[in-house]
Amino acid sequence: MAQRVIITGDVGAGKTALSQRFGVDVTREAREHGIKLRYVHVNCREYRGSLFLILQHVVSTFHPNFPRRGYSAEELLRILVQILDEENTYVVLALDEFDSLIEKEGSEAVYKLTRLQELRQNKPQRLSLICILRNLKAIEQLDASTRSTLQSNIITLQNYTKQQLVDILNGRVSLAFKPIATSEDTIGLIAEVALSENGNARFGIELLWRAGKYADAESSETVTPECVRKAVSSIIPAMRKNELATLGFHEKLFLLAMARLFKQSQKAWVSLAEAEQTYTIVCEELNAKPNSHTQLWKYLHNLSALGVVKTEVSTTGSRGRSTLIYLPRIPALELEREMGILLEKGEA
Amino acid sequence: MDIENVFSSRLRIKILKILVRVGELNVSEIARRLGVNYKTTKTHLKLLEGEGLLQHKVFGRIRLYRLNEHSSKTKALQTLIEIWENESRQ
Repeated sequence: MAQRVIITGDVGAGKTALSQRFGVDVTREAREHGIKLRYVHVNCREYRGSLFLILQHVVSTFHPNFPRRGYSAEELLRILVQILDEENTYVVLALDEFDSLIEKEGSEAVYKLTRLQELRQNKPQRLSLICILRNLKAIEQLDASTRSTLQSNIITLQNYTKQQLVDILNGRVSLAFKPIATSEDTIGLIAEVALSENGNARFGIELLWRAGKYADAESSETVTPECVRKAVSSIIPAMRKNELATLGFHEKLFLLAMARLFKQSQKAWVSLAEAEQTYTIVCEELNAKPNSHTQLWKYLHNLSALGVVKTEVSTTGSRGRSTLIYLPRIPALELEREMGILLEKGEA
Repeated sequence: MDIENVFSSRLRIKILKILVRVGELNVSEIARRLGVNYKTTKTHLKLLEGEGLLQHKVFGRIRLYRLNEHSSKTKALQTLIEIWENESRQ
């Protein structure tokens, strides 16, 4: 029985991974039952959303030297069915980045794919579809009859939570790192950054890899949070300098204090209390009167809104609630240098 | 047909060589690789098929030729060509 499924979810929510995992499982299951089934994963964007090129790819998994030109997409679809009939094979076709197919070919192509079976009644249904796309809005562009053939099974993947991201990263850590090379802190920080990118697991894994590379480059035994920050600043264009320049004098002092704290502690996070202490010291250095706790708390919110730091309220500590501050993006060293420059300019 | 007649043609041997190497190909592409026209290619392919050395499948307008895997002659030929190619490469 041919099926059609739509998988939708945000970037890095695991759509492709889910589909491919299903492909492996269903192929194995079919083999155990003596059914010939192939899972073919096609990234539509890679084939510029062209039905012809996509089908070409599918056919080439059966006949690698199949001619590349000289016939139409319809012919190719017929050829595919013929091949499947002759080899008594079933195909689960996963169309990743499905929206690019819709964009390029419109309803027609999707209609052809889904209604293939109706032209050949009483014959085995050989082609099942998994349509993978980020946003269901793209489906709305299709005409009503095409839409109705698609929308029976929709799987929506939620964004990962922090804990899930930590689990995913730990899974990779156990595969790729020596047991003592990473700490809970480091992983927590990476998860936090990935979470701020809408729970993008792929991004998190990439970060982990890059942080590892930075640790290697520094011949450091462990992957420190600072490595992660370097990794982040190498991926995302770091905070624009003029944004930092717009901060108020005390905000700059506060940020400088946090930068120093992060540089010394090598931890992923510092508590607000610690940050406050260091801030007082910085104020003393510069002969400024330190601002109150409430004021600092306001600054902190502002800084986290700008994306310079991230905050999280922790209740797991010894008692009460404490605010934890993360420095996800900018390496502490760089931040300290930058704040130093800005403060000097401000005084001059 | 006698063996000397089948292998008297350079093109036929080239066809066999190509198919041993890539497995399966359409007529136009074989013709292109031989550097001769479609008709000549097809004549030779038909002859080889008639001798049971090749087989083909039709997909719409496309004809894919391959070695006839059920023929012991083909298997022996395949081995010969592979050994030949390997040695001349060394």
